[in-house]
Amino acid sequence: MIETLLILFAPLIGGLMYGFERKLRARMQSRQGPPLLQPFYDMWKLIDKQAFIVNPYHTILGVMHFITIWIVVAFIILGQNLLYVIFLHLLSTIFIILAGFSVKSIYSHIGSNRELQAMIAYEPILIMVAVGFFMMNGSFAISTIRENDTSLASLFLLFLAFLMVIQIKLKKSPFDATEAHQEIVGGVEVEFSGVFFEFIYMAKWLEYVFVYLLLMLFAGNNIFLGIGLFFGVFLLVNLVDNATARIKMKHLLRIVLVIGLILGMWNLIGLSYV
Amino acid sequence: MFDLKKYRKKSPWILHYNAGSCNGCDIEILACLAPKYDLERFGVINTGNPKQSDIFLVTGPVTYRSRERLVELYTQMPEPKVVIAVGSCSCTGGVFRDMVNVEDGVDRYIPVDVYVAGCATSPELIIDGVVKALEILEQKTKEMEKPLKLFREATLQNSIVNRRHTALKVGEKDEED
Ligand code: SF4
Repeated sequence: MIETLLILFAPLIGGLMYGFERKLRARMQSRQGPPLLQPFYDMWKLIDKQAFIVNPYHTILGVMHFITIWIVVAFIILGQNLLYVIFLHLLSTIFIILAGFSVKSIYSHIGSNRELQAMIAYEPILIMVAVGFFMMNGSFAISTIRENDTSLASLFLLFLAFLMVIQIKLKKSPFDATEAHQEIVGGVEVEFSGVFFEFIYMAKWLEYVFVYLLLMLFAGNNIFLGIGLFFGVFLLVNLVDNATARIKMKHLLRIVLVIGLILGMWNLIGLSYV
Repeated sequence: MFDLKKYRKKSPWILHYNAGSCNGCDIEILACLAPKYDLERFGVINTGNPKQSDIFLVTGPVTYRSRERLVELYTQMPEPKVVIAVGSCSCTGGVFRDMVNVEDGVDRYIPVDVYVAGCATSPELIIDGVVKALEILEQKTKEMEKPLKLFREATLQNSIVNRRHTALKVGEKDEED
């Protein structure tokens, strides 16, 4: 029952998180910031606006992106297989990349290209996180991971690598070259408008829910640790976002792949000897 | 019923275009978004993407080079939208008026809803202009968004073809029939 409710309201929760984050970021820059419900105001406005359809595939792929990422979140809440969740999430990213390539806009193409490169950077880390959970719990099932004790201490290096994935996935500095609002005006989302942009916007909220749900897996069955992790990382991510500048795509690839892979492999090899 | 229109006012997304200005007004616009004046507290985002914005902030007298882009950007914005001419030179031409390479003001090419004067205009004035534009944005209805088309027969007046009063909005009833 509560799971169904959580799944149904997942976009709303994501929207609240996004609104809270905008507020927090504004306060960090000593600004007033928009109201907490601002993402929902944006949503109603976008529904009321005229929508341009560039081509049908572009639009459908955008909507598919939203639907698949919702399914991913639902699978995490229901406690399904972690590997399956990660690959389904990959599929949802592929949809948005294809959508970006299906129009003629140069910005959209660059955005898709960068999204692909970012995927190459973070996907191995996500899979290594899954393998780490498997080594600790003997199962890929999220429900089992949630029942066992926290594995934060033994997976600490993987946790550090995962923090970089959060920055990429939520498009935060220094790893936000995929979106890069000042240079490529949002990348893949540039050609969406009106209610169809709304789907991309909501998919962005669901991305928040997805990432933070994955993060809370590190806490295992310790709910307070999970909540602590969530707030701690939320603050940290926004602090880093405010304090750093955007780096180039090739530096992103190099930094995330080298540091992430080394941290991850170190952790996994260490685990296999313990 | 749940009125969607009142949410237009709460999340105006801005597209800023420099139609050949001296950059004085652009800096003032950026100052509006910076911590001191903080336009974001009204929900304003500087999107830079015409397909997702509601307010078109234009600075500068329209130079020959920029007029095509200006009209292009205007047509790419989905309805409902408002246009704000920021700075004297985008209202009337300002210091550039009557120069060889500029058109005097934005409204030669696109309809302007709010004029913000001053060379350079101040952030307070720009905020006032944006708030005024939000009132206009709220009043824009679906009917205003419908295009006008020539539906009625053209008449002959003094052996000159007269096309006045032939324009009707799409879907509007013809009362003369
Ligand atoms: S109004 Fe004055 S300050 Fe503003 S862009 Fe024009 S010339 Fe520059």
